[in-house]
Amino acid sequence: MPRSSPDTVSAVLARGRLGIPSVVFFVIAAAAPLTVVAGGATTGYAVTGVTGIPVSYLVVAAVLALFAVGYVAMSRRIVNAGAFYTYVTRGLGRPAGVGAAMVALLAYNAMQIGLYGGAGAVTAQFLNDRYGWQLTWWMCALAVWAIVAALGVARIDLNGRVLAVVLVAECVVALAFDAIMVTHPADATISFDTLSPSHVFAAGIGAALVTAITGFVGFEGTVVFSEETKDPRRTIARATYIAVTVTGLLYGLSAWAMSVATGPDRIVEAARTDGTDLIFNLVSPYLADSVVTVARILFITSLFAALLSFHHTVARYLFALGRERVLPAVFARTSRHTGAPKIGSLAQSGLALGVLVGYAVAGADPIVHLFFWVTVTGGLGVLILMTVTSAAVIGFFARTTHNEGPWRSLIAPGAATLALGGILTVTLREFDTLLGVEPDSPLRWAFPAAYAAAALLGLAWALLLRSTNPDIYAAIGLGADSDTGPLRAPETVRQPA
Amino acid sequence: MNTTPPGPADEHASSGGYAGPVVPARPVRAVGSAAAHTMRLADEFFYLAHDDQTGRPRLFESALAHGLAAALLAELCWEGRVTFEGRQVRVTNAAPPRDWLQHLVLDRLVAEPRHTATRTWLAFVGTTACEQVATRMWQLGLVQPQQVGRLWRQRTVYVPADMNTAAWSWARLSFQLRNYQQLNAFDVALAGLAMHTQLDPILLDGAPLAARAFLRQQVEQAHLPLRDLLADLGAVVGGAVLSHRTT
Repeated sequence: MPRSSPDTVSAVLARGRLGIPSVVFFVIAAAAPLTVVAGGATTGYAVTGVTGIPVSYLVVAAVLALFAVGYVAMSRRIVNAGAFYTYVTRGLGRPAGVGAAMVALLAYNAMQIGLYGGAGAVTAQFLNDRYGWQLTWWMCALAVWAIVAALGVARIDLNGRVLAVVLVAECVVALAFDAIMVTHPADATISFDTLSPSHVFAAGIGAALVTAITGFVGFEGTVVFSEETKDPRRTIARATYIAVTVTGLLYGLSAWAMSVATGPDRIVEAARTDGTDLIFNLVSPYLADSVVTVARILFITSLFAALLSFHHTVARYLFALGRERVLPAVFARTSRHTGAPKIGSLAQSGLALGVLVGYAVAGADPIVHLFFWVTVTGGLGVLILMTVTSAAVIGFFARTTHNEGPWRSLIAPGAATLALGGILTVTLREFDTLLGVEPDSPLRWAFPAAYAAAALLGLAWALLLRSTNPDIYAAIGLGADSDTGPLRAPETVRQPA
Repeated sequence: MNTTPPGPADEHASSGGYAGPVVPARPVRAVGSAAAHTMRLADEFFYLAHDDQTGRPRLFESALAHGLAAALLAELCWEGRVTFEGRQVRVTNAAPPRDWLQHLVLDRLVAEPRHTATRTWLAFVGTTACEQVATRMWQLGLVQPQQVGRLWRQRTVYVPADMNTAAWSWARLSFQLRNYQQLNAFDVALAGLAMHTQLDPILLDGAPLAARAFLRQQVEQAHLPLRDLLADLGAVVGGAVLSHRTT
């Protein structure tokens, strides 16, 4: 058809669409760089006792970039592309999909709730040091919890511009700190030892790799925006690669810079002594107090941004599953005034409150037992999901007719499946190192077993639905589109517009 | 209370027929009485989705916009101008409708044949639907624009001229659903719009679960083109909830 008349429909709908920078800002801010640099990397050194953390970040970034090739290619062909379980449903079948959905719920809840430990402890320490208050970590965690719960039901997310400013500030701070640490090395020599590839084959690398993966969780969110971008084909792919590259380099550089400043042989000991203060203590002799204070505040805001982002993720997962009737339909309820997935949001907040109260009563350590243990368990869950999703991408492209080359449909996802599967295997073998417990501790099996239980539960539930409620079974993986389920076959191509 | 309003359903059903000149409704002040003039689906949905006294929205913005867009497309469907087939909307009769707003929407549909997806049209019409439907109602004297809010957050709300007229569709649907009375075609469409924009809790507040099931069963009886439209509406509204952007 000759396009003589202007396409007003497309022009109107294109208003306010996102470009590459917006998408990158959204997902990197959710991954919270300063949280990973100041919290994740230091605690990783301390708990696992592995010095190969910097090289792990780089290795994981490479593997995730490989994973993203097939993931992004498939995201263009499915609706409800924001959720891993949709990929698994379409690639490996509905029972596997529901299993993945349960694993995802557990994993993202773990990520979110674990962060409360970090936020509570860091905020309490900051306020106590600065103002001489006598706050405990759980008081601050509960205060943060209340704010997140309220913003969740009100469906308030951090404004894109605010996120961008905070994110840029975080990156500037991290890079400035790195420069200071690298220019003031221990023993007056810059050692590249922690970046040595030999660490990849050393004992305890599984623990380091899953710590690194935990730092990247959130990057998979780029595909959620595909219907809101100017050019879905290019924007999402580029934004994903940029996000992985930028965060990977930043994490690797920062973790390495810390080891330079302390000396590679003393980094573990220093991290155990100073905890999340390590990076600030290392640079404070060379910087004005006010700069370090600003950096500490940014650390807290970055934790908060991550908390809010994962809260919304869980609420949306619950909404999508409630919409499909895989979970009770009440999860599909929204707040009339804000359109927030109300019940999903309240359920997540309720669960978080329960865990926080439990930790406070038990008197467990907020950084090691809540922040590190629970978030890396979340990271393990996301690692499982990414491994299965990668396999699902192969399954999907094998079953559908498509015009992608073999690199995107087979080679890259195949290699990513093998790499992620390998990381998963060593992680499970070294889970005791990861938790910093004795090799015969039952805890090393308890955390991974929770995922196995969730997956089996989902699988069994899907099979039950298949025999008792075929309509619901047919709509699995459609998310918001499940309304159209009884009427028509799922859409295989996203609408243009 | 348990009677349907005179006219609209039958007039809409006999598509193409003119409903006679539209008499501007005069505010009816008698308590318990209701407006006795032809209502259009989008107007009724607008009433349903706003507070009958203050005119403030009862529904979040994107659901309201898409709901009104769907109502306008459904009006065209009743006028026999368009139909819905699966995910597509198709113009069946390009003759201009009498109503200016229906005319405007149909004009765009005719002028842009390259876009056929119902969702695309819901999104497109939704960008302006709220303002346009309010203007149409204002021209009929059904609502009055009013500035509310402080200086820096001023916005316009459309306050119903008569709260009985405004509350009528809510009262009618709520009463009939609670008493398990069959809805006519017009009310099925209105209830369907409410259900797929997640507005149904205001109709069924405190009602037993069976009333909810009855609502679903009534909406499922709608004729196929309308069900296709409602399915797309539900998916679009759900997509808006799942969307990352919350503004």
